[in-house]
Amino acid sequence: MSNNSSAISVKNLWQVFGPNPDKIVGSPDAKLPRAELREKTGNTAAVQDVSFDVAPGEVFVVMGLSGSGKSTLVRCLTRLIEPTSGSVVMNGEDVLKASEARLRELRRTKFSMVFQNFGLLPHRKVIDNIAFALEVNGIKKEQRHARANEVIELVGLQGFAQAYPEQLSGGMQQRVGLARALAVDPEVMFLDEPFSALDPLIRRDMQTEVMRLHKELGKTMVFITHDLAEALKVGNRIAIMRDGAVVQMGTAEELIANPADAYVEDFTRDVPKSHVLTVRTIARPLADTETATGRTIPANTIIRDATAAVLDANGPVGVVENGNLIGYVKSRDILQVVGGGNQA
Amino acid sequence: MSVRTEPSLTSAPRRIKRSWLLASLFLAWLVLARITKGKATLELPVPENTAFTTWVGDIADSIRGNRSDGAAFKYFFNPVREFIDGFVNVIRELIAIPNGNSSIPVLGWLGVLALIGFIVYSISHIRMAIAAVSLTFACGALGLWTDSMDTLAMTLAAVILSLAIGIPVGIWAGLSDRALKAVTPILDLAQILPTLVYLAPLALFFLIGPASATIATMVYSIPIAVRLTAFGIRGVATSPVEAGTSMGTTKVQLLKKVQLPMASRTIILGINQTVMAALSFVVIAALIGAPGLGKPVVEALIIRNVGEGFVAGLAVVLIAIMLDRSTSAAIQEETSFVPPSQADRKRRKFGLTIFGALTLVSIVLSRQLAWAAYFPEQIDISKLVAQSTDAFVVWVTENLQILTSGLSKVVTVGVLNPLESLLSYSPWFLTVTMITLISLILGGVRSAFVSFVLLLAIVASGLWFDTMITFTQTIVATLLTMAVGVVVGVWVGRSTRAERALRPILDAGQTLPAFVYLIPMLGFFGPSRFTAIATGIVYSIPIVVKIVGQGIREVPVNMIEAATSAGSTKWQLITKVQLPAAKKSLLLATNQGLIFVLAVVVIGGFVGAGGLGYLVILGGSKPQLQGKGLVAGFSILLLGVMIDRIAQYTVARNSAPKH
Repeated sequence: MSNNSSAISVKNLWQVFGPNPDKIVGSPDAKLPRAELREKTGNTAAVQDVSFDVAPGEVFVVMGLSGSGKSTLVRCLTRLIEPTSGSVVMNGEDVLKASEARLRELRRTKFSMVFQNFGLLPHRKVIDNIAFALEVNGIKKEQRHARANEVIELVGLQGFAQAYPEQLSGGMQQRVGLARALAVDPEVMFLDEPFSALDPLIRRDMQTEVMRLHKELGKTMVFITHDLAEALKVGNRIAIMRDGAVVQMGTAEELIANPADAYVEDFTRDVPKSHVLTVRTIARPLADTETATGRTIPANTIIRDATAAVLDANGPVGVVENGNLIGYVKSRDILQVVGGGNQA
Repeated sequence: MSVRTEPSLTSAPRRIKRSWLLASLFLAWLVLARITKGKATLELPVPENTAFTTWVGDIADSIRGNRSDGAAFKYFFNPVREFIDGFVNVIRELIAIPNGNSSIPVLGWLGVLALIGFIVYSISHIRMAIAAVSLTFACGALGLWTDSMDTLAMTLAAVILSLAIGIPVGIWAGLSDRALKAVTPILDLAQILPTLVYLAPLALFFLIGPASATIATMVYSIPIAVRLTAFGIRGVATSPVEAGTSMGTTKVQLLKKVQLPMASRTIILGINQTVMAALSFVVIAALIGAPGLGKPVVEALIIRNVGEGFVAGLAVVLIAIMLDRSTSAAIQEETSFVPPSQADRKRRKFGLTIFGALTLVSIVLSRQLAWAAYFPEQIDISKLVAQSTDAFVVWVTENLQILTSGLSKVVTVGVLNPLESLLSYSPWFLTVTMITLISLILGGVRSAFVSFVLLLAIVASGLWFDTMITFTQTIVATLLTMAVGVVVGVWVGRSTRAERALRPILDAGQTLPAFVYLIPMLGFFGPSRFTAIATGIVYSIPIVVKIVGQGIREVPVNMIEAATSAGSTKWQLITKVQLPAAKKSLLLATNQGLIFVLAVVVIGGFVGAGGLGYLVILGGSKPQLQGKGLVAGFSILLLGVMIDRIAQYTVARNSAPKH
């Protein structure tokens, strides 16, 4: 599905650590599982042949447990770590082929990053942290402070411009991190487990905040997380990584309705399916013994939201997609999903 | 039938076997040494040279003769010497020696005191400034104003030059792995090199005088500046560095805006350590003509005048405290990245203005009026201090004999003499074999090989006997140091209150120059081998206590909790959990202890300890023995490297992951 309209197009990206990384990619060894590769060659494939496209304005989530290579992957995209091979195309330009100077320019203007441990500079005020990328790009103090103040407003840090990072709580610090990433008005934002270091309640606030910013500004985002609930909440599409490779990629519904393997299934087991799946996934033909009630609901209704309507109906309800009837659901079908049945 | 057993089954019996092996080896050594006593000891009377030492002496003479027209001297050594001499003199003329045609330095004593107060105030706070001024004034009151100022000037000059080289190199080593790899062996070597070793060779190339002293001081203190700067840069958290890079900084921007500001605390700590190292070296460098307080210390040691030596040593201690407290106060100011509030800053600006004005007035006065230029002679308590010291020493030696000559006798007869007869008075090949075998058991094959080669090199140097004398004293002093250090270290590691109470003493002990410890020890124990040993112990206990205490403190809490909940007594907890878990720290402490002790034991040559240190010192004053002195210095180096290698290999072997 690679095409020119993507915000980012990643193709066959590899990152191999070890004594002779260049010799691995393209050799038969590359297909070996991680542990065997290390045993045989001493090299570790942190990122293994990863390809994906992110549409403009999309929030693309990369999810995996620690050691799955997701943090290495995002660092390869901005070349904080040099990938071994592959391509990362943004606006028709391969980032991996950019010169040092061009790479700096891209970092200063086109993309920005938010870090798990915030990465704030403790010796600088909030406003100077936020204006840092503008400062290293040689923008005059007045101008960059004006821009920083705009972003401070945007992320709700009013009144803290003159504070120092250590005077702020973790959640507030990460707001500074977000503001700093927004200050350059980037085309793409990379967020590397931005809320993992925060308390659960503050984490939820911050997730909502990111979704609000996304709705207001429409930035393309690549969001790294190890938390499935977070992935489901913020992501349009999700890629699940394991041992450096992408095991499955799709919308939340696709992953939960059709897990590619036991690993993904295990991952998604605890997610309440009725909160993610739509009635489309449980629509079925009418059995001989049943008669339709004549009521209908749209196919993209989340099961949880359809519950009341279907229970009220006292019989099968039609599921309609694009004006066509694609099947029926009955209270029993709904209850099976809500009750945790496996028939989904 | 031979069966291969599981490695996990053999490891326990093997450990027991190792200690048995050591014990039986030692026993065999004792027996063999008794049988062969006095044979092939390679003892060389002090005034005699070997062919090798004569040859080295001739080389030294030819180097000396080459000074005016050899190319290396003309284009390298002499210009360097002239530059450094010039630089040192500028600073000395500022505070210590007559400037130009005038009979006083640029600043008289009042001006110097005011300037010290102002500088300390500007980097810390008013209390510290008052303390610094008082301490410096006290040096004047001890009748040593000019010498103190010379020491201060020499220290300052060496520190400025050391930092000018050390910080850039440190930054380089902090940023580049390759650079770090290149400088690490040099830094390691500099750390184990006893100070006495490189004085004579440097004096050979740069003449006796301030330049040689400054260069020797730089050799000693640059590694410290490099190490801590590199450590600081490498210690900066990765995420701000990544964040900086991800925002498109150039390398220079990253260094200036992220890495240096965040490493500033460690770098200032490095400056503090560099200052203290330089001060302690400037005192010893009196041996090669450094002006200042080292001179009266050396003179007092040579004529065994404890009272006067104590006065000079006290002045050194006062300056050490002054420099240490004011530079570390600057670190404390740096604990938070948040600058002071507007009101605080206004108050501070006001304070600085007032203080600055007072300083300017004092400086002008000190250049115009005699009373402000020459330190008043009426204020001189040196006689009083010297006399009371002598009286105190007499009282102690008469009334606390058991602690002075008694202790000295017990150690000398009970430990020192037997070990000396084992190492020095048995045939050299027996000693070489035994040390190599012990090294094999402790550190493995590589350790044994390195020891063997170094031992043979020492034999070849012709100073085998003297080296073994020094080695004996080093071992005895280290054993005693460890005995005391581990007990106190365990206490400090277990009790926060003990740690808090002892910390200032440990810190102070670490910053004082080794030289000044010799004076009181000389008073208590007279000129003897034990005096050198006692000085070595006192000097190295602080570092051992610190390392052991930290090791005990770092034993994971859950280990302690598990043992306590299993019903361990306090004693069981210490012997079965904390000490074994802190084994690596114990080994590291032993290594540091050995190196520190060696450095001091050789200085003990001044107070009748004999051995290599005495030969080095003698070589400096008797031209016909200069070759022997140089070879003795080199033998100290070989001995130091051997001790360090054995210790390092032992540490590496014992910290390898267990199955």
